Amino acid sequence: MNSAPMMWSQVTSYPLLWALQVLPALGAVAIFLLRGRGYAVTISRAVAVGELWLAAELVRRIDPASAALQLGERVDLLGYPVYHAGADGITALFVLLTALLTLLLTLYGLVRGLASVSRLAVVILAAEATLMSMLVTLNVLWFAVASAAELGLVAYLLGRWSTSSEENRSLAMTRFIQFQGGGMALFMLGIGILAWGHADTTGRWSFDLLDLMQIPPEGKFQSAAFFLMFYGLAIRTPLFPLHGWLPHVAQRGMVAVAPALLLGIKVGIYGMLRFVLPLTPDAVVAWQPYVVGFAMVGVFYSAVLAFLQTNLRRLLAFAVVSHTSLIVIGLFSLEAVGLQGAVLLTVNFGLAVTVMLFMVGFVFRRTHTTYLDQLGDLFERIPFIASVFLVGGLSIVGMPGTPGFDAAHLVLEASIERFGALPTVAAALGNVAAAGFLLWGFQRAFLSPRVDGMHSKVERTQAMEYFVGGLALAILLITGFYSEPWLNLTDAAAKALGARFGHG
Amino acid sequence: MADFPLLTALLLSPLIGIALIWMVPRAAAARDGALLGCFLALALAIGIVALFDSTHSGYQMVTVSPWIPDLHIHYKLGVDGISLLFLPVTALLFLATVTGSNARMENPRLYFSLILLLEIAILGVFLAIDTLFFFLCWELTVVPIYFLVSLWGVGVRRQHAATQYSLLMLAGGVPLLIGLLIPALSLPEVAFDLPTLLAHPLPRGTQFVVFALLVLGFGVKAPLPPLHTWLPLLAMEGPIGVVALVAGIKLGVYGLIRLAIPLAPEAAAQLHWLLAGIGVVAILHGALVALAQTNLRTMLVYAGISHVGLVLLGLASFTLHGLQGALLLTVNLALATGGGLLAANFLQQRTGSCELQHLGGVFVTMPRLASFFLICGLAGLGLPGTSGFTGEWLVIVAALQTHSGAGIAALAAMVVAGAYFLGLYRRVFFGPAQRPAIIEASDLLARELWAAVMIGGVILGAGLMPQPWLDLTVEAARGWATPR
Repeated sequence: MNSAPMMWSQVTSYPLLWALQVLPALGAVAIFLLRGRGYAVTISRAVAVGELWLAAELVRRIDPASAALQLGERVDLLGYPVYHAGADGITALFVLLTALLTLLLTLYGLVRGLASVSRLAVVILAAEATLMSMLVTLNVLWFAVASAAELGLVAYLLGRWSTSSEENRSLAMTRFIQFQGGGMALFMLGIGILAWGHADTTGRWSFDLLDLMQIPPEGKFQSAAFFLMFYGLAIRTPLFPLHGWLPHVAQRGMVAVAPALLLGIKVGIYGMLRFVLPLTPDAVVAWQPYVVGFAMVGVFYSAVLAFLQTNLRRLLAFAVVSHTSLIVIGLFSLEAVGLQGAVLLTVNFGLAVTVMLFMVGFVFRRTHTTYLDQLGDLFERIPFIASVFLVGGLSIVGMPGTPGFDAAHLVLEASIERFGALPTVAAALGNVAAAGFLLWGFQRAFLSPRVDGMHSKVERTQAMEYFVGGLALAILLITGFYSEPWLNLTDAAAKALGARFGHG
Repeated sequence: MADFPLLTALLLSPLIGIALIWMVPRAAAARDGALLGCFLALALAIGIVALFDSTHSGYQMVTVSPWIPDLHIHYKLGVDGISLLFLPVTALLFLATVTGSNARMENPRLYFSLILLLEIAILGVFLAIDTLFFFLCWELTVVPIYFLVSLWGVGVRRQHAATQYSLLMLAGGVPLLIGLLIPALSLPEVAFDLPTLLAHPLPRGTQFVVFALLVLGFGVKAPLPPLHTWLPLLAMEGPIGVVALVAGIKLGVYGLIRLAIPLAPEAAAQLHWLLAGIGVVAILHGALVALAQTNLRTMLVYAGISHVGLVLLGLASFTLHGLQGALLLTVNLALATGGGLLAANFLQQRTGSCELQHLGGVFVTMPRLASFFLICGLAGLGLPGTSGFTGEWLVIVAALQTHSGAGIAALAAMVVAGAYFLGLYRRVFFGPAQRPAIIEASDLLARELWAAVMIGGVILGAGLMPQPWLDLTVEAARGWATPR
């Protein structure tokens, strides 16, 4: 991972990583120019399919046995790299997830019957382009700029498409901008310090991952950079206790699209893997106990809060905070298996949460509310939607047969090695608490009987809903029972990162 | 024939039933599809017993293929004298449950599909000899039970019961998973293969940790006091057919025999007093609380808890007879408790209640049902001539030799058991039939009679001819009981 990546021309005939970023951006521009003509939406879906094909191509081209960054692309200007991209197995998995979720989002947008679908498609594709940029770039500044652009797009989504019966709907966007703006500022400051530290020793400013890795900043520089970058990303992820924006966005914002972009693809976790852990290794080791301690508290704190929720959307938000804490435990075990588990857990949670959000969106379309006491008795009418929601929940809990199991299993394995049996049991019990609130929420939303028979005429599941739900269900179950390729893909990269901390 | 993957076929045979259920256009025919799947499973299970070589102590008919090689998890099935008898009994109880269930219900397709999924998961638990594949099947049992109880339960608090059950089982899964991970991680090369794990005993200190975690994990499901409170609630709220399966097939006990004790033999032998102690508490607590019940269903599940205690006592002796008795008792429990609950189901469908105060004089109008219940109850008491006798006798002899006090307590509990069962039987079945629901009720229908005859036949058959059952288990039990 230290050496310069093998260039793309050795593997493919075109710059694949560049194509991954440009295709959705071009798609977004094209649809914007078409101004809401009927076939614009179809084009968005074609672009999403093409992007998925490119992502699959990336997975196929990556050599999983090698831990090195591959398919490198680099453009220099005045001796400074202005564009530098590369990928390893972990990148490939995140790229695949992003492409898949975007495709599902474009399908969902239509099925849900949201307003001005073609404008929505523009924003979704533009967000995909920024996400891809963040995933493939090897330049911290580039990552930060793309991240800011993506947050801007999501804020626009929240401002324009928020669907909620709540008062002060604008609070979703306000809180979001306040928190994320703060987070971005911290992160920018952090990378500034990194680059300054680098300039201090070498006399040359650089934001390039490989440059910075060769000469990591020393002592206080490193601690400061770690704190600023870690907490900047923690707000975005979000990690307890910096999750204040999420419940508002969940309750008052969009039901599924914006949360899926924010929570489905956890670029915060990816940023920690790609930049924070390799660039500030000593600080990571020094602050490991505190981070893990906070994460353990976070598992339980958010589980307790989730039990108190009366709104299905807020409940899911707290579920996210709870399970993100488990990812961080895996990440900061600093063992190769733990890192691999954290990667797989992130992908699994992203997929599962998105699926659950979609199903909540389908419910909201029918009931115009997600307050649990106004739902109930829906299983009779929409058993398929309810079942898919439950499978998503079981995947978050790590039920065997879903992709969550292998991932949680790896994290627990690393946690036993690193922290011993007792903290592991505690963390796993926190996960069972998550099972508790998800089951309870499921029961109140779908199973509990209603005396007034209000939902006895709720519309049955539509063909397109079957399609979206069935696709998601198939992906969850197939990757659950056949997880070997994903383990293979991420194995070498996770081992290399673990080796940096002496636990390869 | 030797190459045919018989165990895989058994594991997957209920899937044929599920396919039929959804392919046949009439939803009302769902039960017939389920029946076929269950029947197929029973035929295969009997075939496996017939082909089993009882002079062998190791695993037979082993099927193995890599599943997640990176995590060292394999799909590995095998059968030995310990798991063998559970296969036909499980298949039989499922067949009887499906035969006895009323096809007129809401959404029969989903109901019977879930029942068959449950059968796959339970058979998987008995067949797996890879500890993580075991865990997969173990956890998969929770999902169908959750839906069956919360959607088709009979009580008003069925959803509460379903959630409580699922949460307790998931919470029990945590110590279980960690208890299974520790032995695998302590090998030089990580492996979850049971024979490999058994060939490399753990260090003494670790054994105590593993044993405690596994007993906790299995104890929730068994259930052992004080972790048993979910079972009476489930018995009151759930559909009784499902309760018969959950309370009858004692997966927790099987887990103790199969994994907890063999993986930590020294710790288990050292802690024999703990096993015997929990056993005595379970025996007495179960029997005394059963005495105080006013409902047929809760009475039967408390009697089951009392029997689980007796099984534990047999295990605590660490003798050949103790283990054989424990195995036969566990198998008998599936027949006696499961059969008794099925009889209670028939009664509930006719009279609308299992409360003692609503019953009485049932024998007058429903002699067949009453006889079926009597046979199951007597098997539970361990009367000579029923399948319960051999196991109970072996356990008590073994217990008297090794834990005399506990053995005497067990004998005392048998007297209490006689009291609760016969007292209850008198109040429910004898006396004049006064309530109109009982006077107008008809006796067992043909399909219900089939279910009753299947279970009753096995109870009496195994009671009169216990030797083949002992022969099938003896070699594996000898290997288990002799310290490695």
